[in-house]
Amino acid sequence: MKKLLTLSIAAVAVVVTGFVQPAAAETLRVGMECTYAPFNFRNADGDLDGYDVDVARAVGGLIGADLEFVCQKWDGMIPALLANKFDIVVASMSITDKRLEKMDFSDTYRISVGRLVGKKNAGWKLFDSADKPIPANFKGLKVGLERATTYSDWFENELPGAEVVLYDSNEALYLDLVNGRTDMIMTNPMKAHLRFLSKEDGAGFEFVSPQVDERKYFGIGVGIGLRQGNDALKARMNKALKTLTDDGWLESYALKYFPFAIH
Amino acid sequence: MSFDIALIIDSIPKMLMGIGLTFQLLFLSLALGTALGVMLLILRISGRWYLSWPTMIYIYIFRGTPILVQIFIIYYGLPQLEFVRDGIFWPILREPFGCAIVALTLNTGAYLSEIFRGGVLGVDRGLKEAGSALGLSVTDRFIYITAPIAIRLCLPAYSNDVVSLMKSTALASTITLLDMMGIARTIVAETYAPYEVFISVMVIYLIITWAIQRTFGWIEKRMSRHVRQ
Repeated sequence: MKKLLTLSIAAVAVVVTGFVQPAAAETLRVGMECTYAPFNFRNADGDLDGYDVDVARAVGGLIGADLEFVCQKWDGMIPALLANKFDIVVASMSITDKRLEKMDFSDTYRISVGRLVGKKNAGWKLFDSADKPIPANFKGLKVGLERATTYSDWFENELPGAEVVLYDSNEALYLDLVNGRTDMIMTNPMKAHLRFLSKEDGAGFEFVSPQVDERKYFGIGVGIGLRQGNDALKARMNKALKTLTDDGWLESYALKYFPFAIH
Repeated sequence: MSFDIALIIDSIPKMLMGIGLTFQLLFLSLALGTALGVMLLILRISGRWYLSWPTMIYIYIFRGTPILVQIFIIYYGLPQLEFVRDGIFWPILREPFGCAIVALTLNTGAYLSEIFRGGVLGVDRGLKEAGSALGLSVTDRFIYITAPIAIRLCLPAYSNDVVSLMKSTALASTITLLDMMGIARTIVAETYAPYEVFISVMVIYLIITWAIQRTFGWIEKRMSRHVRQ
């Protein structure tokens, strides 16, 4: 009850800050894929929905900016940001050193993990009791990954024995896993659960690894991306994200889509 | 925008690691496609409607749809069917390389058979009549009179098709193959530098095209040397 009260106060706060601001002169263009359920996607009514969208709207409300969403394919996301096609990226983009060379990030609004999905009861022995991968057992395994994700870096460096197959989209990963072209895939566990394992096609499959949380590769988590040199905007967004975290908003957004918190 | 020359120098060798796959795709599907084209041609000009009609429909479908769609249907579509996954062709269709070869072969075969037909139709009637006056059978006339002339006639169009087949191999990168284009796309996705990387891969493709054109120019010259003298 107390929590509910806090939430409703926060809700009022968000709404009030959103309305009290004089018709915001500032418009932030937000880049996202728009096809990445449950983080950013179009719902049955054709409206943008998802965790990223909720976060973006809440941050926009708190800093008093109008939002304009721009849909952009993943592999062109950073070039488009750098080319000023939009101002911020709220697209579940993990913060990595490599990306930080080209761009800047806010604080995290979601943690980054990966998890392997494979055939049920196949008796994979891929991780030891301390949840560390056993490289020898990955030898010759065909693992499907999305191109240029943090998972491919991890495999390349930590498990070079595995035969990595790169895909352009998340759907293709599941298709080829079902078709038997790959032995397993690594992806975001929340996504895998919602889009595949909970569906008919995924009936014969399950998570075959613990959640892999390697900060060195997967970064500290997902943040809002922006061009370098926008420190004022970054500070305002960080302040807004802190409010959202502390007041339980991020958790409430997560529970809309998952049975567990993701921050 | 800054142009990163070092990145170009760095990524060209990486992309060249995919040139072998590009060439495998090109030569294998060219050889198979040429054989298919000849077969389709023979069916098409057989004069029997039950052979030529299905061939015409086949050619219409494969020339009338984008090759990317054909690749996707073969790679993602076919395995949805249970009997394909249990069938004898699954070892080929399971592999992205096999799917790419099948798609490129079926597509280029359709184009080539039309090119060959143009060549055959271009052979002077009188020559064939002369052949039959000499008592040559239909098969002999085709092999000794029609074919050599038709081949010379359709060489320019054939070389054109080889170039476009070579460019089509880049589409194999959409079904996980790491040919030159696949490597280029991976580098772009990692470095976020589309201009440098794609321009580099473009230059490599241009050089290959140039080599193909030179080769066919030389063959054409050689095959028509009797005309010059």
